[in-house]
Amino acid sequence: MALVDCWKQLSWFYNQYLLVTALYMLEPWERTVFNILFVSYSLLISVAGMAVYTGYVFMPQHIMAILHYFEVLQ
Amino acid sequence: MARTADGDLKPQLYKNGVKCRDTRGNLCHKRKEKNGPGTGFASRQSSQESFEQAPMYVAVMTYLGFGLVTLFGYFRDFLRAVGLEKCHVAQEREEQKDFVPLYQDFENFYTRNLYMRVRDNWNRPICSLPGPVFDLMERVSDDYNWTFRFTGKTIHNVINMGSYNYLGFGENNADFLTTVADKVQQYGAGVCSSRQEIGNLHIHEELEELVASFLGVESSMSFGMGFATNSMNIPALVGKGCLILSDELNHTSLILGARLSGASIRVFKHNNMNSLEKLLKEAVCSGQPRTHRPWKKILIMVEGIYSMEGSVVRLPDIIALKKKYKAYLYLDEAHSIGAVGPSGRGVTELFNVNPADVDVMMGTFTKSFGAAGGYIAGKKELVDYLRNHSHSAVYASAMAPAVTEQIIRAMKCIMGKDGMTEGIRRIRQLAENTRYFRAKLKEMGFIIYGNDDSPVVPVLLYMPGKVVAFSREMLKRKIGVVVVGFPATPITEARARFCVSAAHTRDMLNQVLQHLNEVGDSLCLKFSRRKYSPRTDLYEETDFELDS
Repeated sequence: MALVDCWKQLSWFYNQYLLVTALYMLEPWERTVFNILFVSYSLLISVAGMAVYTGYVFMPQHIMAILHYFEVLQ
Repeated sequence: MARTADGDLKPQLYKNGVKCRDTRGNLCHKRKEKNGPGTGFASRQSSQESFEQAPMYVAVMTYLGFGLVTLFGYFRDFLRAVGLEKCHVAQEREEQKDFVPLYQDFENFYTRNLYMRVRDNWNRPICSLPGPVFDLMERVSDDYNWTFRFTGKTIHNVINMGSYNYLGFGENNADFLTTVADKVQQYGAGVCSSRQEIGNLHIHEELEELVASFLGVESSMSFGMGFATNSMNIPALVGKGCLILSDELNHTSLILGARLSGASIRVFKHNNMNSLEKLLKEAVCSGQPRTHRPWKKILIMVEGIYSMEGSVVRLPDIIALKKKYKAYLYLDEAHSIGAVGPSGRGVTELFNVNPADVDVMMGTFTKSFGAAGGYIAGKKELVDYLRNHSHSAVYASAMAPAVTEQIIRAMKCIMGKDGMTEGIRRIRQLAENTRYFRAKLKEMGFIIYGNDDSPVVPVLLYMPGKVVAFSREMLKRKIGVVVVGFPATPITEARARFCVSAAHTRDMLNQVLQHLNEVGDSLCLKFSRRKYSPRTDLYEETDFELDS
């Protein structure tokens, strides 16, 4: 039951997204093109960017901890 | 502070010093207490106009939305040019490809790429009388609105919120239409001539006398088409060497008439008296552009109610300005005649202004009278001049007898000449419906433009996707609305325009309001940031003018 409500809420949000960005006026294949090219592209870029930055910040500590664990470094 | 017509600036004091507010507003409270034209109360109350601005994100998203659809428009145009997609628009034949192009591809970019996608919301075929409810033919499109086909079904009893049927005279009740049927039997359906040649029927003269007595002027003349009344008569009144000062938001017919006349045109900001006064001062001081000779005539063109905004003209202020600078006034009462004023006589009655102060009064019979055509009224010399010099009078076909009789019977009904109170009942019903509808919409949180008295209610929708979704949703719920978008309105201010009618019952309005509420919630259309309490104010202003 909660899943159905969740699905309804999500589809309402998707509908609002379509209306506000005027994708509502475009044909279905154009919406797919936009979603894959621009939206997914921008989401991918942001996720990938965040992963790289986090790696840059935390990677040295993680590598030191692993080397300590395997008793390569003292 | 608004200046009254005779230049008096004193505010109006009432019997016990405290202003009593008549919630119905239009029922002559101000008439009983008037002691001159243009009292302070009338002009203060009638200038409650609001043009609330939407939050900033709305404008940003509207531009983004248009930008996105434009990008896709370019993409589709490219596909059509390359040949990957079938081109539905007109194209030259193969043999003519090297000639000068006949069809300019880019000019109708907007039509091809934005309007065509969503044009199922306009030009919907109606198959019944456009009364308070009507029937629509259902049509579907298989190729995204390039072509339509009818399914054969009719959608019955759709509530009509788009027809200009303000007083409900668009009706087919046989009892009311007996005189019209008699005239068709007597005169036939057509006139077969222009007014000047041999098409001047006695019934036309009867109509003109009636219009003149309705408006309180010396004489009037009627024409077969409302648009042509403006566009063909302004060239007869002004010419080269004259100056036209026209409001920013004037109708296309006024603009066309002004351009055809050859006069110089200057535009002042909508309903803005400072802008108009600045232009008048400059015109009187500097005269014509190169020679600096005085202008032959200065004509101020305004409308009674502006149909896209629902705002009412500031008539007492304009008349004061016109008298000060010795200009002429042309008032187009297309939407306001019959619809405002305690007895339906238009904005001159709403503001308690002497009709003789307005030089040229123009109006149409299409909106409140349920017929077709227009009139120009004023002094006898003016109208006699127009009879001979107007293109519409000399060349256009005269008004059909059935239509003329419909106007006569509607006007007699409004004036009460047929002995019944039906006319005044309709006017009061319209005023009540207008106030109720506007108050409820504001309470719900929609942004509404315009004056509280005007039966034209624009509800702002802003984003192009929402405009289209709104129209389709309302049709699913059996309510017919008119939505207006870019070329007719500014690009960020798309709206749905509701026309309240005296024929709507309280039930119908409640139904419409309920559906509007639901659609407004599901599409997030309630942009207003004001808070309205359901109880009305006890007094209109926050400071009282008490007797000492």
